[in-house]
Amino acid sequence: MIFPYQCLVARTDSDDSNKWTVFGASGSKLVAQSSTGATSVWPQQDEQQQQIVSAEHGEPPGKRIKLSPAPTERGPNFSSIILSSNGEYLIGVTGEDKCIRVFQVDKEGQFQQLSERCMSRKPSSITLTSDDFTILCADKFGDVYALPLIPSPNDEPAENPVVTEQPVDKDFTPSATVLTVHSGRNRRTLEEQLKQKAKGPLKTKEAMTFKHDLLLGHVSMLTDLAYAKKGNRSYIITADRDEHIRISRGVPQAHIIEGFCLGHEEFISRLCLTPLKLLVSGGGDACLYVWDWQNYRLVERLPLRDTALQHRKARSDLSPSLPDNDQGFKVAVSGIWNIPGLDALTNAVLVACEGLPALFEFEIGSNAKSATTISLNGNALDVAFIKGSDNSCSIVVSIDNIHKAGSTTLVRKDKIAARLQYFSKQTDGQWQEDEIVGKVFVGFAGQGSLMDDEATNGDTPIGNGADQASSEKKSARDILYSVENLRKRPGAEE
Amino acid sequence: MPHAPAKRQKREEYKNSLHTNEQNAALPKKKFYRQRAHANPFSDHSLTYPKSPADMDWATLYPAYASRKKEQAPNEGLQILNDNDEEEQRNAIAISKDVKIADIGCGFGGLLFAMAPKFPDTLILGMEIRTSVTEYVQEKIRALRVQNASTNGYQNVSCIRANTMKFLPNFFQKAQLAKIFLCFPDPHFKQRKHKARIVSYTLNSEYAYVLRPGGVVYTITDVRDLHEWMKEHFEKHPSFERVENEFEDGEGEDGTGMDECVKIMRTETEEGKKVERNKGMKFVACFRRVEDPAWP
Ligand SMILES: C[S@@+](CC[C@H](N)C(=O)[O-])C[C@H]1O[C@@H](n2cnc3c(N)ncnc32)[C@H](O)[C@@H]1O
Repeated sequence: MIFPYQCLVARTDSDDSNKWTVFGASGSKLVAQSSTGATSVWPQQDEQQQQIVSAEHGEPPGKRIKLSPAPTERGPNFSSIILSSNGEYLIGVTGEDKCIRVFQVDKEGQFQQLSERCMSRKPSSITLTSDDFTILCADKFGDVYALPLIPSPNDEPAENPVVTEQPVDKDFTPSATVLTVHSGRNRRTLEEQLKQKAKGPLKTKEAMTFKHDLLLGHVSMLTDLAYAKKGNRSYIITADRDEHIRISRGVPQAHIIEGFCLGHEEFISRLCLTPLKLLVSGGGDACLYVWDWQNYRLVERLPLRDTALQHRKARSDLSPSLPDNDQGFKVAVSGIWNIPGLDALTNAVLVACEGLPALFEFEIGSNAKSATTISLNGNALDVAFIKGSDNSCSIVVSIDNIHKAGSTTLVRKDKIAARLQYFSKQTDGQWQEDEIVGKVFVGFAGQGSLMDDEATNGDTPIGNGADQASSEKKSARDILYSVENLRKRPGAEE
Repeated sequence: MPHAPAKRQKREEYKNSLHTNEQNAALPKKKFYRQRAHANPFSDHSLTYPKSPADMDWATLYPAYASRKKEQAPNEGLQILNDNDEEEQRNAIAISKDVKIADIGCGFGGLLFAMAPKFPDTLILGMEIRTSVTEYVQEKIRALRVQNASTNGYQNVSCIRANTMKFLPNFFQKAQLAKIFLCFPDPHFKQRKHKARIVSYTLNSEYAYVLRPGGVVYTITDVRDLHEWMKEHFEKHPSFERVENEFEDGEGEDGTGMDECVKIMRTETEEGKKVERNKGMKFVACFRRVEDPAWP
């Protein structure tokens, strides 16, 4: 079977607003689908696979695909993909090798890889400045780096205003002596350091040899970042696992913190700026928070958990069924997206939570406390928006075809579950499944990274055994579901 | 460790005995509060901290400055407000003055106890990550307040358990503080632990955030490398400038013109005294918060 699309993103053609391209990452592969019907894949496939795909012509691939490469042969998996605002560049982050790859994508959606830069810490989120010149990369260590989108040959390699890891100096003499170092523990570390010195410098395999500037940092895992421009001022907004949203000035004054939006009581996992100058944040809390972020003021809270619980209760098709006690029901926000195409005075977002087969639409800044729910056949993974020239809006939703709807551990029995669903917004504001949009995606729907079928057999919860199949299950789960893991566990002490 | 339970029990008994009488004026004994030297600033300690500075219960820490009496006796320590009656609770914890001086990693509190009488009208807060060390300082403050009840002494000093490297902006508003002390911080010699240091380019942005322009970060250490590290990271941070020589060292033998707080920091911290006894070196460096540049 084919791995689900863990990431999706869409662009509208700059010359012809009726044309668009949707990009998806399925495991280690990138796939593009253009409105004209063309599909392309990165990395280029081998011939055998291409034949199969053309023979099937987008039929949901069944058992016939037995050419699955061993999971170990698969490249690193994408954890996020974004597009430049002109749509010309796609930037993909892969988790295992911590790399940022930049692709040029032509009108037909063909990929040409321009660069590959491996960070020393795993990136958790990236964004671009509004001029498309600079990639901002937030990492799990808490730091934000700026990298030029297109490295210039004139860049000083690794020019950095700040030495993050001090190079180990061969002539380094710890100036602390046994006399001046007071604690026994420090003394032992000092001795270790002297020993290390005798052995020679530590291997610096982590050194980044390309231009990267450290802009700011939290002493916490960063989970998302956003870039905003208001008039001449630019801002970098960062969110961390310890409930902080920080507003900093943009480059070259990114060391100045303007303020914080504080109020979350659980980790924050996603930020979303709305056209109405509001910021929506979500994570492990029961509510989404809406901020007038330039004044660090909370505008409203939206009842995400209650909405999700209501939906969950109404879905008799889901297993396992909910425990009698609702108190334990928690949400972990995995996506917040602006819905384009609404009139200038209303903003709305779509929200996805980990392991829930639904999307929730909330109006922002209007004190409307109820949501519109889109029910899905499987857990929502990502959403891409296709905006028509007539202000119409359709969405492509990627669905987890491995796990059961409503569960992040139980494996589905139906092997041919659809990996994508399509909806269009009706004039009455409701979302309706849209077959016509779906027809364009036949090529896209048949592409992606192949999975070992063994991995998805059986009903055992994922990640229980030590065999290869179960390790692939485990890795599939890690790729698709990492947000709930941010929650702090009570009792995890010093 | 076969003796551990017995030791723990002794500690418990001792601490309970202190609490049987709130008017007990005896100073706490340090030996019952010692704790392993290093705490990991990255881990999820079961810390209590306010959601934001507005949610901080300062009145419990500085009862003499509470501007409105509480309806109910507060629980021990900090409280995180729930959403109901948020306004009301905020009123209840209003305080007539803001904390202006923070001693980060205050240890057993030597600096706090020396500063309190010198700045009787300024609220001073010690922040310490180790539970038991924090308890010692809190107990000592309680005892000193009882001893000095007639003069209202030590009402201006308090201490909380906090991981300042993560949560400083939860406690203080922008530009609230006038002085921050970083006295004898843990050196974290290991290369890979450098982000664990309490001074770094990126963390200095948070010190700049809570300090008012003109405010000062005071640092002192006996470890030359750490001194160089702190100097490097503050000097390259555009929000700080090094203070004048005189401020740190004074002039001549008697150090005329030396900043009052530098004097205290050199002599009154526990670590400072230890280094003195060992005839070790002390390196001082202080940095002034400059005004933010214009923003287009
Ligand atoms: C070497 S002691 C110095 C104590 C005191 N300042 C003195 O000079 O005597 C360093 C103190 O910093 C505390 N500390 C380390 N990291 C901290 C953090 N992130 N937040 C608060 N305190 C911290 C340690 O627990 C320790 O008590």
